[in-house]
Amino acid sequence: MDKKRNDLKKIIMDTKTLPTLPGVIYKLNSMPENNKSSVQEMARIVSSDQVFSARILRLANSPSYGFYRVSTISNAMILLGVNVVKSLAFSSSIFEIMEKNSVGLWEHSMGVGVAANLIARRLALPECEEISTAALLHDIGKVIVSLKCSEAEAQIRRTIDDQHVYMWEAEREIIDTDHAEIGGWLAKSWFLPDKLSEPIACHHNVAQSENHRIKTAVVHIADVLIKASGFGNSGDCYVPQIQKIAWDVLKLNDRILTEVVEELEDKLVEVKNFSLELQGPDAPAS
Amino acid sequence: MQKIPLMLAEAGMILAREVYRNDSPSGMPICGKDTVLTDALIVRLDHLDVKTVYVEGHPVWADGDRSLDDMLLDLDRRFEKVRHDPLTSKLFDIYEEFLKRSMGDACGQKAE
Repeated sequence: MDKKRNDLKKIIMDTKTLPTLPGVIYKLNSMPENNKSSVQEMARIVSSDQVFSARILRLANSPSYGFYRVSTISNAMILLGVNVVKSLAFSSSIFEIMEKNSVGLWEHSMGVGVAANLIARRLALPECEEISTAALLHDIGKVIVSLKCSEAEAQIRRTIDDQHVYMWEAEREIIDTDHAEIGGWLAKSWFLPDKLSEPIACHHNVAQSENHRIKTAVVHIADVLIKASGFGNSGDCYVPQIQKIAWDVLKLNDRILTEVVEELEDKLVEVKNFSLELQGPDAPAS
Repeated sequence: MQKIPLMLAEAGMILAREVYRNDSPSGMPICGKDTVLTDALIVRLDHLDVKTVYVEGHPVWADGDRSLDDMLLDLDRRFEKVRHDPLTSKLFDIYEEFLKRSMGDACGQKAE
């Protein structure tokens, strides 16, 4: 079984066949980290590709972050941080594919980004923007599965329909791994920090997260909330169970949950608006 | 009353709350409560970058033509696998309550 998984990991992680990333990405990755001058330099490199920076700015202006006025890449770096901009840069082509092929998953991802942002702010957690980003990216593994293993994907969908199981259960059965783990691999292959890759990899199993359990717990709860709300379409028709470890580590209670749900439902209208704007004026309302 | 994306606003809808610039409740309202929306007004609000408006009634989108019972049935279905779990069923209760409340004043009978 392990062999199957490793083979799959190789196929999936074959960077040559991953959705094409613009050349600037390679320049970004070769830059030294935590260097003050590199922030400006990074902004300059990203801004040199206009289409690419427009894509990043569109994500940076999504309701997941709650600003609406990020107009330049250097602005985004200051407001959201280098890690976030880097993650958005890497994932922008995946989001492009999501937007075209699966608006439901795109809406789900945006929704989870918003929910995670609300929870993080409500609990006054540090690094809110990073948490939102991990939440925004938590399902990128699903896009990779559908790109790289379209046959398996069809089988996974059939299994979900026939056996009424969760998507990750069907994935484990058929490809011996799941979208969370694949998303984690992908984040690692982009050299994103653990605080982003771990919540992505462990959002269905918070206990597995060792170093960034709080962030992982937020992404897990945010995912449950959006599935409970029925917003977007993650491919799962059932709400997953709230993991006790996540509830405990965030010290949640009924009151906080109720407040977050109220605020979230209000915000989701904005997400819908954002999604409609992206799809253009002729798109259907639902 | 319903909060809707400006893109789904149509002429004839009535504003249930004042509209503020950038959705921020501070500063001067740019359009008063009870104003009847017109196409020209919607375009102007769009130019001012207004993203959402509150309108009377529950005029818009899929939920609008589904009854509360349908929505509760969907909710039940989504939670099918986790109703036994004490934590997740709390979330079910919160959503059930939320739907009942938000659909309850859906027809705009309950003034704010």
